[in-house]
Amino acid sequence: MKVKELAGLIDARLHLGTCSEDSEIARVHASDTMSDLIEHAAPDTLLLTTLNNNQLIRVAELLDVPGICLVSGADPRPELLARARETGTAILVSPTGLEETCRLLEACSGKLEVTRA
Amino acid sequence: MITLSYRIQGGDFDSAGLATRKLKEQLSKIGIGAPVMRRAMIASYEAEMNVVIHARTGTLWARLDEEKLDLEVADEGPGIPDVQLALREGWSTASSQARQMGFGAGLGLPNIRKNSDLFDIETRVGRGTRIRSTILLGARDEGDAPLLNVPGFLSLDYRRCRACLRCIFACPTAALRVHGSRPVLLPELCIGCTACAAECGDEVFGIGGADTGSSHTGRTAAPRGSGAELLPVPPDAVLVLPRGFLAGFPVNDSPARVLAALQDAGFADIRLVEEWEQALRREARTFAGSGKMPLPLIPPFCPAVVALVESRFPSLIPHLGRWLSPIEAAGEEFPLRPVFLVAACGAQYSAAGRTSLTDRLTVLTPARLAEAVLPGLARRPAAASTASAIAGGEPAPDPRELAATGVRHVMRVLSEAEAGALDGATLLDLSLCDGGCAGSPLLCADPFLALHRWQRGPISAAHSDAAAVPRQKPYAQRHGVRLDKDMGEAIRRLARIDELTRALPGRECGACGAPSCAAFAEDVVMGRADADGCPHRPEHGEETQ
Repeated sequence: MKVKELAGLIDARLHLGTCSEDSEIARVHASDTMSDLIEHAAPDTLLLTTLNNNQLIRVAELLDVPGICLVSGADPRPELLARARETGTAILVSPTGLEETCRLLEACSGKLEVTRA
Repeated sequence: MITLSYRIQGGDFDSAGLATRKLKEQLSKIGIGAPVMRRAMIASYEAEMNVVIHARTGTLWARLDEEKLDLEVADEGPGIPDVQLALREGWSTASSQARQMGFGAGLGLPNIRKNSDLFDIETRVGRGTRIRSTILLGARDEGDAPLLNVPGFLSLDYRRCRACLRCIFACPTAALRVHGSRPVLLPELCIGCTACAAECGDEVFGIGGADTGSSHTGRTAAPRGSGAELLPVPPDAVLVLPRGFLAGFPVNDSPARVLAALQDAGFADIRLVEEWEQALRREARTFAGSGKMPLPLIPPFCPAVVALVESRFPSLIPHLGRWLSPIEAAGEEFPLRPVFLVAACGAQYSAAGRTSLTDRLTVLTPARLAEAVLPGLARRPAAASTASAIAGGEPAPDPRELAATGVRHVMRVLSEAEAGALDGATLLDLSLCDGGCAGSPLLCADPFLALHRWQRGPISAAHSDAAAVPRQKPYAQRHGVRLDKDMGEAIRRLARIDELTRALPGRECGACGAPSCAAFAEDVVMGRADADGCPHRPEHGEETQ
């Protein structure tokens, strides 16, 4: 599934990095601890998290994560967006909370695998 | 092989992860495979965050060769009081700032371990922590023995060998053969003692060389020092050497003169490894009385004795004191200064080299340091120097302790201990070289000559702050050469070895190049020797009675 399509499913705002538009996403992993996000980070995995800090981009960069989805309509920090642009990571902001976003994504289970910490 | 290093600033969450990112850029250029890269990134990032979250400052080192990626992250920080607890998932002491950022879930160290083929952590409370992670570049084969478990690091100069066979009988683990006119080492069995070198009159054996036989190449974590330039010496460097080195020169060169020559060469801070030996002895004595361990306690004074216990006397492994050997402890003592360690034997050489991957630590052979010092000695006036004193002095012996040195005697003592015949002893003070480390054939011609020289011109003692360092890694039995990966085949081979051993004359003469008929039988079954190698077999027409 393309990032754009996924953003549409959860009605998320999409801040695109430079080259992530075509990334294929097969899995979404939801967690609010860094170590758990790292463990599940992969080139086909979108990370879904209540966290909102620059280290998310670092992890995305190190482990080739195509995109990160913040929740509850969070405002991504300007530095986070700036770094995301540099690294080509998509930043999505879901208007709903973590649980609700997961539920919405699980609804299209045929195309996406959703895991939680 | 390449080595990369990156600084890490504690508490700086903004640049956190930058060291790992830089590492990734370099590794990408080499074209490292995706699965290895992923594991490397997780291990490196988690270790880096550990420094950012807990420590003041630190460094990430990465060393890459064709077989493996070694990562090491060392910091100056609070250390970890209880490593076992820290390795448990969910245990953390991270600050609230770190926790708000999603760190401090207590998964960092377990994550590093999970992604490493070899994982090691050394920590000292109040000093800092050092984490090592090795990732093998090839496929992970869970059934294989650890690759980096070869303790010894002997080098053999074949050209000097006269095939006199003395070494094969001297080796306590039957790791040597002489085939044709050259010695052959079975590295899986070598414990890095210098029994062969002590017996050899032709200086065939050394340590730290590159030429250690083809099967050995690349199987050890190559200790540093072999290629490193010694001079000029960095200004804040520490040199740690055995007393035997200072006393190991010809009679006109007193220990004080050798010391002065080393100082001339630029080593401002010179320490004796015996300081850490004494610190370990003090600690072990206290511990032996605590009832926490089976007695007699065997402190790891000599890494070769440790390896011997792990290979030949595994039932005594619980008796091994859980501290680092003195030379390893010395290497840990100065976390942020360049340290030069002089190893007296192969076991020390590889133990000291194993404690660090960093260029901070250089392990030297005595010969290499002597090369740097001897010109200085020639230039110095004959009068003894009154250079600054370094620590020495021996604690008084305790009658409940049993001290033994030399391969033959140590083997006997360990056999007795294994049989439970040493119940009265609280502590075994064992060293495989005659007379202790000073008896290493790589240090001087004879331990008693060296002792005499030392006693004639000892260097007076100063206060030493050396301390024993707890060992985190458990001791493990060394299985030596595996007969086969497949247990069924291994059993069949064992049966063939047994059968052939009984068919051999049992003269243990060594004429075949193996130290015993049983060792020869194993060589034949394992394809290391030809059955015709025995000149006394019945089919050769010789009387076997």
